[in-house]
Amino acid sequence: MLSSLLLKEWLKLKRYFIAALLLNIGICLKIFFDIRQQIYSEHSEMVWYQAIHIQTVLYQDIRYLPLITGLVLAAAQFVPEMMGRRLRLSLHLPGSREVMLFFSLFSGFLLFLMICGLDAVLIYLTLKMYFPVEVAVSSLPTMLPWILAGLLAYFGGVTVLLEMNWSRRIFLSLVFAVLISMLFSGSGYGWFIPALPWLILLAPLALLSVFESGRRFQERGV
Amino acid sequence: MNAIEVHNLRHQYSERVIYEDLNFSIPEGSICGLLGKNGQGKTTLVNILMGFLKPVAGKCLVLGEDSHDLPPATRTRIGLLHEGHLAYEFMTISQTEKFYSGCYPNWEREVFFNLVEKMGLPHNHKVANMSCGQRSQVVLGVIMAQNPDLLILDDYSMGLDAGYRRLFLDVLHDFSALGGKTIFVTSHIVQDLEQLVDTMIFIDQGKIMQTGLDDFMTSFHKYVFLNKSELSLGKDDIITGFEQRGEQVSLYSFADTQQVVQHLTTLGVQTKDLRKVDMTLEDGFIGLMGKY
Repeated sequence: MLSSLLLKEWLKLKRYFIAALLLNIGICLKIFFDIRQQIYSEHSEMVWYQAIHIQTVLYQDIRYLPLITGLVLAAAQFVPEMMGRRLRLSLHLPGSREVMLFFSLFSGFLLFLMICGLDAVLIYLTLKMYFPVEVAVSSLPTMLPWILAGLLAYFGGVTVLLEMNWSRRIFLSLVFAVLISMLFSGSGYGWFIPALPWLILLAPLALLSVFESGRRFQERGV
Repeated sequence: MNAIEVHNLRHQYSERVIYEDLNFSIPEGSICGLLGKNGQGKTTLVNILMGFLKPVAGKCLVLGEDSHDLPPATRTRIGLLHEGHLAYEFMTISQTEKFYSGCYPNWEREVFFNLVEKMGLPHNHKVANMSCGQRSQVVLGVIMAQNPDLLILDDYSMGLDAGYRRLFLDVLHDFSALGGKTIFVTSHIVQDLEQLVDTMIFIDQGKIMQTGLDDFMTSFHKYVFLNKSELSLGKDDIITGFEQRGEQVSLYSFADTQQVVQHLTTLGVQTKDLRKVDMTLEDGFIGLMGKY
């Protein structure tokens, strides 16, 4: 049963995963070439001053990429399930709704993490090539709020897609939009570090909204 | 034992009441057709029976379990066909087989491919690129390969031509011949059900009438007579349904010929050449439910 569920999710996701992966790699390459060009075409002291003293994040281009990736993966997985309410096919399978939903989310989450993990590694390697290792290491806490925003976008996208009631959909969209916008409200290196452990601990709570929408789907919004 | 039991079911959408105190049961091993005009709540009932809709009140038992909380082991025993032959359109034939075979421990691979290979399509053919009839074969293959004890088919005939409908009926006949299998089916092609069901449930404006097919076909009658004037006959204790095409009047009733003639005479209706004629199930359906 588990392998069947994962197969189904992979069949839905694979094209979008590959497209998202290529887009993410492309943006990371662009960041690499941009930094390299800056280093070679400008005074390296200027680049150092920008990066270290005025805290210009040189990989800003990647800022909204996890958000887009999360939304794309959510849509790839759950738009086909909601067309004609096909999710009923899965809900009739001999397994619990929660387990079925959990493995659907697990599949999307895993692919999302792979893409974001690759982004983090590529950005780290790019920075390490031209800056001290401390600057490279700081990219991870700097990117984490963006990755968390992508994760919230993924869970929020799934929640909204599963929800059958339009007024609830709008309300849930607003709630997730506010939460996500908080994660983009600051700038600079590691600006969210003090709150990060709490946010990481609280992020799984978003799963509750997915399971609740799943329950409401099965009961058709009752 | 009953495969399906419905007790005091009530459901409504906003102010519109679909059922009020609905009660019926379907014994194991029977083939029951649910008949009703469009919008009478056939699909709603299937959705309630399969736990996809929570009724406002009442209880439904499917294979002895509460329909709203069917345990996985019970769902394994139920083959479900959704209206419109729902299938995963992003899968190919072989992916569909691989997916479902991993979900059902008693999956019968040969049964699936025997049905699907009748279409002559390659196994890498995508469900999304199939016609409605071809998709119905894949769905039928999926359901039959599960070897369920109870089949619930919601309008299996939707979008199917005569050939695919006949194929469906053949498979259902073979399935019921295995013994101990229960089929609960809705269809808008009433004459197909005449060849299949042994029990029928007519549903109309939230009320139901459950009857055996043979009982219905012997106790319900179609009468025809000629009348030049445009008649306007309402339903009453004798007249269940009535239609007029030119001079030809068709009248439906559970009463015998003598009672019908007497009743029409009392109403002042001329009944030239009144006689009882053979009735198909579709005639019976129209006579009982009306056209609109």
